[in-house]
Amino acid sequence: MKNPKPYMNPYIAGVFLGLVLLASFLVLGAGLGASSGMARIAAAFESSIAKSHTLSSEYFGKWGSNPLNYYLVFMFVGTILGGLFSALSSSRISFQLEKGKSASAFLRIFFALSGGILIGYASRLAQGCTSGQALTGGALLLTGSIVFLICLFAGGYLAAYFVRRQWND
Amino acid sequence: MIETLYSLNILDTSLAFLISFVLGILFGIALEKAGFGSSRRLSGIFYFRDMAVLKVMFTALITAMLGLMYAQALGLIKIESIYLMPTIYVAQIVGGLIFGIGFVMSGWCPGTAAVGIASGKFDALICIVGAILGSILFNETFHLIKPLYTAGDQGVLFLFDSFHLSKGLVAFLFTLVGIGAFWGVEKIEQKVTGKSEYLGSQFLKTFSFVLFVFALGLMFISGDPSKSVSLCPFLKQTQPISLSSEQDLLQRVEEAEDHIEPEELSDRLVSGSQGLLLVDVRPQNEYSRFHIKGAVNILLPDLSVQLTAYKNQGMVVLYSNGMTHPAQARDSLYRQGFNNVYLLTDGLDGFVDRCLKPVSLRSEPVPAEFTQKINEWREYFLGGTEVQNNVEELSKLTFKVPALIDTQWLSENHTKPNVKILDLRSQPEYNTSHIPGSLAISPESFRGVVKGVPSVLLPAAILSQQVSLLRITPDDFVVLVYGEKPHDATLVGMVFERLGHKKYGVMNGGFLKWNKEGKSVDTDLPDINDSVYLSNDNDNVTVDYKIVLQSVKNKDAVIIDVRPEDYYLGKKSDEARAGHIPGAINRPYTEDIAKEELYSVFKPTEELAKDYQIIIPNKDSKVIVHCRTGHQASQTYFVLKNLLGYTNVYWYDAGWTEWAARKELPIEKEM
Repeated sequence: MKNPKPYMNPYIAGVFLGLVLLASFLVLGAGLGASSGMARIAAAFESSIAKSHTLSSEYFGKWGSNPLNYYLVFMFVGTILGGLFSALSSSRISFQLEKGKSASAFLRIFFALSGGILIGYASRLAQGCTSGQALTGGALLLTGSIVFLICLFAGGYLAAYFVRRQWND
Repeated sequence: MIETLYSLNILDTSLAFLISFVLGILFGIALEKAGFGSSRRLSGIFYFRDMAVLKVMFTALITAMLGLMYAQALGLIKIESIYLMPTIYVAQIVGGLIFGIGFVMSGWCPGTAAVGIASGKFDALICIVGAILGSILFNETFHLIKPLYTAGDQGVLFLFDSFHLSKGLVAFLFTLVGIGAFWGVEKIEQKVTGKSEYLGSQFLKTFSFVLFVFALGLMFISGDPSKSVSLCPFLKQTQPISLSSEQDLLQRVEEAEDHIEPEELSDRLVSGSQGLLLVDVRPQNEYSRFHIKGAVNILLPDLSVQLTAYKNQGMVVLYSNGMTHPAQARDSLYRQGFNNVYLLTDGLDGFVDRCLKPVSLRSEPVPAEFTQKINEWREYFLGGTEVQNNVEELSKLTFKVPALIDTQWLSENHTKPNVKILDLRSQPEYNTSHIPGSLAISPESFRGVVKGVPSVLLPAAILSQQVSLLRITPDDFVVLVYGEKPHDATLVGMVFERLGHKKYGVMNGGFLKWNKEGKSVDTDLPDINDSVYLSNDNDNVTVDYKIVLQSVKNKDAVIIDVRPEDYYLGKKSDEARAGHIPGAINRPYTEDIAKEELYSVFKPTEELAKDYQIIIPNKDSKVIVHCRTGHQASQTYFVLKNLLGYTNVYWYDAGWTEWAARKELPIEKEM
């Protein structure tokens, strides 16, 4: 395998990302999003196990019997494919569990899973994640989105110390 | 001007899906190129070793923000064409904190984890699995967390409104903070890791300068910030050119061009002037106590939305008791581009005093001509009743009539201007003989296919237009006259339920009883004045299959299937499946009707009350009625809610037609 190419200049990457977001505003009339598409997949998954229970539940129920029929689901799938395309062309694909060298795999898996659960839960509560709330709403100068952004970093820095061992080399 | 897929309401089409997919690909490329396919790099920001997240995110945020503002300033797009998320303080604070903890634990967020999966990272996959579980957990605990979900809801709130600053200034400050942050984090990186790629570099200097210039330029393009303080400049840009709108506004105020005198309003209303929308902005209880005939009730916060259809169309007149609130509302609407909003001089108090006060109570001499006018107005606005001296007494004039009207009452009242009679028989029957002043309308004209479900009541916006064409105003008392089928009248009753129009009744016995009793009929078409019936969806009684399913599961409602017994038992069927909703009980709608020789009437209330007492535990019990298409069930709804006083009755309009066709819904056969 070839050596991975270096990352793009973060400021240039930021401009690129900002232009994608701007295009999304101008064409879709809505910003970028990831967690909504993911939650729709969760609803479809729950629905495949317990259909009438999911349909009658108050939150997922309002998405109807075909929750995947939603533009952000398509965006989410596109995001994975776009990532794949870029990672392939930059030779950055490597199958691995990313962690600190001296950290145990179990610890990393535990943190990834429980962190994931918190992310899934919190993004429903706040109606969006880093993409749909912080980035999109921030660019629209929406007060709540910027509050979310500040609290996101506050929560991260507060907890960082307690989960640092997973990155120990 | 760009119309977005959101503003065209086509975000749910395959075109939108395709575009979203393409944008998703670009999004994924951008994230991956930035190096966000690595949790180690992402989490670096929390340990000050790699601040790329902040650099990329703030650059993207500022780029999109500036780009969007230029697009607006150039008139390319309106902010209303973009979906704006509400600010919900508590949910976003708590959600943000939890999200941040989850972010630093997992090293991912949903978008970057998607890219992580594409890059072969197992921890990204685990994180997504966790996030899916977390979403399901949210759904399962929604009933517990619901108060938090909406706590601190402010609606759409912009940062510049929160701080009462101009949009351009906030964008400029935001950009400055961003540039400061870029330099700050480069310094941090140098301190922690010993090297910084961009600190003091020509690149970062140029980049910062370019952002600065763009942000500064915005302040000039979107106007002097000091002038637009505390306004909502986003909305300002939607106005037609020839700006200096504040001056225009003040000019109009100076020339009192924005006022309408009560006398002029009265004349216009009495003569049935078209294109005039009179809006009462007082609280609902005051409105229902008394309002000027023909006025609709819209609360201040809802004005700009509700009046969208009337923007610069005809004339909108606002009134309250006094002048302050309508004046503020008018100013705000003016800034949003409404040039046709007027105030009623002296408000409601002035109107009553100047137009409705009887001549005998006036201290000044009144010329004969004006006396005649006052009487005319009083006749129109007070319905020709005896002298009333103040607003409190006016309120007594509102009709108090039972839901079931007898022919005698109608023959005494059918000529009153605010009694509107709808004849629901076929057109030939109406043409050959009808109650004087009544209008023919087919109950079926209020139904149609809505989102693929056949024969359901149309949305309130369409119904209100139809009702406008029938020259019915929100103040009218509507009398529904059926031919042979009482449920024709109750179905049309549901139209008025949906519009929140409580003043309607069904004439017991219908036209055939009226005719048999030899009451007056004619063959003339009545004279019609157009009316404006504002679209108000006040429907809180129609339920969909999800709510019914919930009740089936929780067993918290009496479900009454009003179809004939054979259909209930599944012996006969015209639908996809035969049988009934699990737990539903059968009470055919025909049981509530007695057949006289020539016509059908509702059975005596006492008899109905006795029957339903057996079926429904008490008056507050939740009841859902349904039939095949909602037609017959409307009659049972009417009996329960309007005749017997059950308070918690719901109408499953789509009914068995839909339930049978949705194969995932449970059914029962026989008992």
